Amino acid sequence: MALLQISEPGKSTDPHQHKLAAGIDLGTTNSLIATVRSGKAKTLPDLEGDHIMPSIVHYAKDGTVSVGKSAKLFVCSDALNTISSVKRLMGRGLKDVQKIKEFSANRLTASGTGMPAVETDCGIKNPVEVSSEILKALVKRAEESLEGELGGVVITVPAYFDEAQRQATKDAAQIAGVKVLRLISEPTAAALAYGLDTGSEGIHAIYDLGGGTFDISILRLEKGVFEVMSTGGDSALGGDDFDRAIAGYLVEQASIDKDDRNAYQMAMIKARDVKEALTDHDSVEINFKHWKGSMDRKLMESLIAPIVDKTLAACRRTLKDAGLKASEVQDIVMVGGSTRVPLVRQKVEDYFGKKPLTDIDPDKVVAIGAAIQADVLIGNKSDDDMLLLDVIPLSLGVETMGGLAEKIIPRNTPIPIARAQEFTTYKDGQTAMAIHVVQGERELVEDCRSLARFELRGIPPMVAGAARIKVAYQVDADGLLKVTAEETITGVKSDITVKPSYGLNDEQITTMLQSSVSHAEDDMKARMLREQQVEAKRVIEAVQAALAESGDKLLSKDERHAIEQALKQLAYISDNGDIEAIEEAIKVVDKSTEEFASRRMDASIAKALVGHEIDEI
Amino acid sequence: MANSQQNYFEMFGLEPNFSIDIPKLSSKLRTLLNSVHPDRFASSGAQQQMLSMQKTTQLNDAFAVLKNPVKRAQYLLHLKTGIDTAKDHTVNDPEFLMQQLELREELEDIVAGGNISRLNQFADKISELEESQEEQMSELFARQPLNTEELEKAIYKLQFLHKTLSDIEQAEDKLLS
Repeated sequence: MALLQISEPGKSTDPHQHKLAAGIDLGTTNSLIATVRSGKAKTLPDLEGDHIMPSIVHYAKDGTVSVGKSAKLFVCSDALNTISSVKRLMGRGLKDVQKIKEFSANRLTASGTGMPAVETDCGIKNPVEVSSEILKALVKRAEESLEGELGGVVITVPAYFDEAQRQATKDAAQIAGVKVLRLISEPTAAALAYGLDTGSEGIHAIYDLGGGTFDISILRLEKGVFEVMSTGGDSALGGDDFDRAIAGYLVEQASIDKDDRNAYQMAMIKARDVKEALTDHDSVEINFKHWKGSMDRKLMESLIAPIVDKTLAACRRTLKDAGLKASEVQDIVMVGGSTRVPLVRQKVEDYFGKKPLTDIDPDKVVAIGAAIQADVLIGNKSDDDMLLLDVIPLSLGVETMGGLAEKIIPRNTPIPIARAQEFTTYKDGQTAMAIHVVQGERELVEDCRSLARFELRGIPPMVAGAARIKVAYQVDADGLLKVTAEETITGVKSDITVKPSYGLNDEQITTMLQSSVSHAEDDMKARMLREQQVEAKRVIEAVQAALAESGDKLLSKDERHAIEQALKQLAYISDNGDIEAIEEAIKVVDKSTEEFASRRMDASIAKALVGHEIDEI
Repeated sequence: MANSQQNYFEMFGLEPNFSIDIPKLSSKLRTLLNSVHPDRFASSGAQQQMLSMQKTTQLNDAFAVLKNPVKRAQYLLHLKTGIDTAKDHTVNDPEFLMQQLELREELEDIVAGGNISRLNQFADKISELEESQEEQMSELFARQPLNTEELEKAIYKLQFLHKTLSDIEQAEDKLLS
């Protein structure tokens, strides 16, 4: 893969080649893609100049897939085969979503993934596949506009997204064939967009009120390090509730039967118009059915105030989690279209005691922040520019006796993190143990979210209570969880079977990858070989850079020679070998640099500690 | 894993003491993370990424323990004496047991009465008790030789006060919502 070189005005491309990276806001209603060009992050428009792409996918009988505006045309004419708001299905179970009104026109069905799938005229589509179509369309837009292949993307997810939902998002990217540099939370991305523009250090609150969700995050920016202190919100609260409240009033005024669904739909559309009109005007005339009347801003505000107050209650809880008072917040960043409503801005200002930031378009701010982070992660910016420290949004736990959930990692713990807990057997001679991984804040397992069920087998028979089973949770920087279980007294490592409750297994991903990328197997192979060669090149460059930087200091002559031999070997095989051979050669390089990498890490920690002490004097 | 023998204090270049300057500790954590965090290795090899994740995990873990006075005291006692107070330990201190019961009753009364300002006053009182308990803990850890029996009692008290504070917070949440 030849990465295109783009030189910034007045700068030469060498020695650092500018790599293409993008930030993607994969939204429930709309999606956007943005990139950093000439040092500025911008969202990318389609050919007609529209930046926002509706998150809608249409599957035609002949197999044609359309995405965005062209898919929106089918919402009414071919509702059955048109999927909107697919984000609400990601990583959920069929039972979770059957009541969601967005899917009333679709045929939802159970699928082998545990997630609900949609029956269309061109087959059963699971949410991950549908999302991957949106990602593909966005990436295509970016690659056409930037005239080059993307080296990687940052995708944003809501802060409240649990494990299964994050994993499903990452799987969608894999099926779309894009490399995910990192998943970051939407509010964090918004803060990045503002933080860098204004360069202000201190505590930031990100108030994100979209159509159907509310999200509040408290972040701290200090010495270029962004740290998520706490997050909270409500996944069923948003601007649509404003519309519902106004529509309820209209239906009442017009004395329409509450069960008249058509009239209610009309009232909802009318309500949205009224809400938008009252953003700029003090009063608006309304004609609804046979009822004629007017609504002023004051009346609307009295209808929606209880909903705005609910968001402030969530703000209070989240501030408390961070151990802060509202007055300690320096900036409030407004995200999401519903923050255009004047009452929202007013109430937020009253609560925090200062004017919220609204300079960046609240619809674009998340994608812009993601683009900035993508630019850093792909290596276009020097290292000490900025660092993002994220937390897990919901507690991770395990089911214990009596259906209780025991927390292993509490919410708002910084990631990556690892925690372990010991359990024991409760029957004599017990040789297996079922482990149920859950996520959530409630005490009862049935109120939490089921993430996975494990079975630990091969425990040597002992009396009850004698075995020591260590269950270890590891959450990586993307917020993704890995769980392992082990009997520690005997040191016997036992088999673990993992069954994600709502998600795809590797086999399903491979199948989808094959059918989605190309139907021809040769193409698939060629693509995989090319990817492997790129990986080899990346490894070689990384090791060479490390050698140049600290090879002399940290390695003996022989050690260095061994590494260089392995690199030469890899370079040769990369040009002449097949996929497996390259993979093998990369492993050899990895092995030969194991000790070197570890020494480098220790050296940089030592340097950081020393540098710090000097700072303090 | 290189350097995993380092104790939590050493990871931050500190002597093993109970008194810790928390703002300084967290700023030190950020400096360290700045050089080892996985974001610094997003375009490096899998091995470096793994190593970076391990280091960051260790630092986050160590920080979580050092930042929390109860966990810090338990960790320090274990480090110095091998005593593990985290595992079902009972302490015999009838006087404190009485005080404990009284405080719990007071909290229950306030919660039943639903008065937020009284709850806040009670929280201030517990915070003060916790603070003086922490001071006492510092002194106990500074003494040579260590009086392990007193330390275990002190940890137990601190743990109780800490738990009470978090119960107060939960009660406040319930009252406000």
